[in-house]
Amino acid sequence: MRIPKFEYFRPSSIEDVCSLLYKYKTEAKILAGGTDLFVKMKKKEIAPKVVISLKGIQKLDRIEWDDREGLKIGPLATHDALVNHPIVREKFDFLADTCFKIGTRQVRNMGTLVGNLCNASPSSDAAAPLLVLEARLKFVHLYGERTIPLEKFFVGPFQTVLEPHEIVLEIQIPKPGPGSGGCYQYLHKASSVGETLVGAAVHLTIDPRDSICQEAKIGLSSIAPTPMRTKAAERILKGKRIEEKIIRKAAQVASDETQPRSRPWYRREMSRVLVERAILQAMEKIR
Amino acid sequence: MKKELIELNINDESHVLAVEPQKTLLEVLREDLGLTGAKEACGTGECGACTVLIDGKPILSCLTLAIEAQEKEIITIEGLTRAGQLHPLQKAFIQYGAIQCGYCTPGMILNAKSILDENPKPSRDEILKGLEGNLCRCTGYNKILEAIMAASMGED
Repeated sequence: MRIPKFEYFRPSSIEDVCSLLYKYKTEAKILAGGTDLFVKMKKKEIAPKVVISLKGIQKLDRIEWDDREGLKIGPLATHDALVNHPIVREKFDFLADTCFKIGTRQVRNMGTLVGNLCNASPSSDAAAPLLVLEARLKFVHLYGERTIPLEKFFVGPFQTVLEPHEIVLEIQIPKPGPGSGGCYQYLHKASSVGETLVGAAVHLTIDPRDSICQEAKIGLSSIAPTPMRTKAAERILKGKRIEEKIIRKAAQVASDETQPRSRPWYRREMSRVLVERAILQAMEKIR
Repeated sequence: MKKELIELNINDESHVLAVEPQKTLLEVLREDLGLTGAKEACGTGECGACTVLIDGKPILSCLTLAIEAQEKEIITIEGLTRAGQLHPLQKAFIQYGAIQCGYCTPGMILNAKSILDENPKPSRDEILKGLEGNLCRCTGYNKILEAIMAASMGED
């Protein structure tokens, strides 16, 4: 299989990327890791006239921690880099674990976290933990920038709110509060790349004095046209002491909130099971 | 499309050649340089037959543009043999019969090399996880695993 012809640009600044995007708009595609882009081009699902590589720009693979602002991840940070990053492992262990689940060893060395989000697959593994960590995305374009919550990024299968003249420059993840912990649970199809059938991420904040759940975030993948938060289920946990009955109820409500596009019965059942497991594991970590 | 002059460092040799930007590293290796060890099977990044090492890490040469592989150290299966001596992994694959049709073998061995370079004494499960991106349709992986375990223990 061959990649169809295109015009190749390798700008050395983000400003130049923005100028090119402004000029070519929907005719251009950004190249980061290439693991989604070139597959789509080989399969003739897309045929961009122009490919703009980010590799000529310094420091886009950054993963930076700031005690006040949290974690910032640049558009060329690979899954492998996240798996092995000491701060990510320490403060966002379940995000590192999730990145280790994505693709294969080779794909993790090439594919980027930002690229994974921009591909906007309904079964994106990275999306669920990032949703419960309340990640934000910073976009830039020729005349400015905007930052939006990840929750508002996905609009449909493989569709996002990113405009053709914009580029995602950064994922921002706020510093997790004390007494918080998260977990990602998944089931996958039996294939080499193991596409996720259901993925459930939970992030909890529990007050150690009275064991009351102060914050609860639940994010699911592969159970709706886009990765999503299940807010009704979150409300069941919030403000309560988390016990078996509450966990069961929250997991059931989360399952009811899903809108699977195929295999609905199985996906709903498994959403319930995985949310339950993820809550228990997150609690275990906080303890 | 206009060809561009690129320079690739492959198995410690420098090659200068003119390529169109859409050419993959795999195509350049096989068609321009005659290095046919890396194979194309799926062409979409699932099978790992095209695996080569870039700066020590296994990547998919079928989804990598040759033009983007410049200023890096590329190692293909042809580069593992030193002074006519096979690499210990190559010897182990032969000794344990870990090869049938041979199509997956170059990718399998290069990925295995990177696994052992990162962690010289991996567990069976760590090898299995590491090899998830390399499909073999002949042997069923057991002999491949045995060969890699043997190589990790320094057997020839």
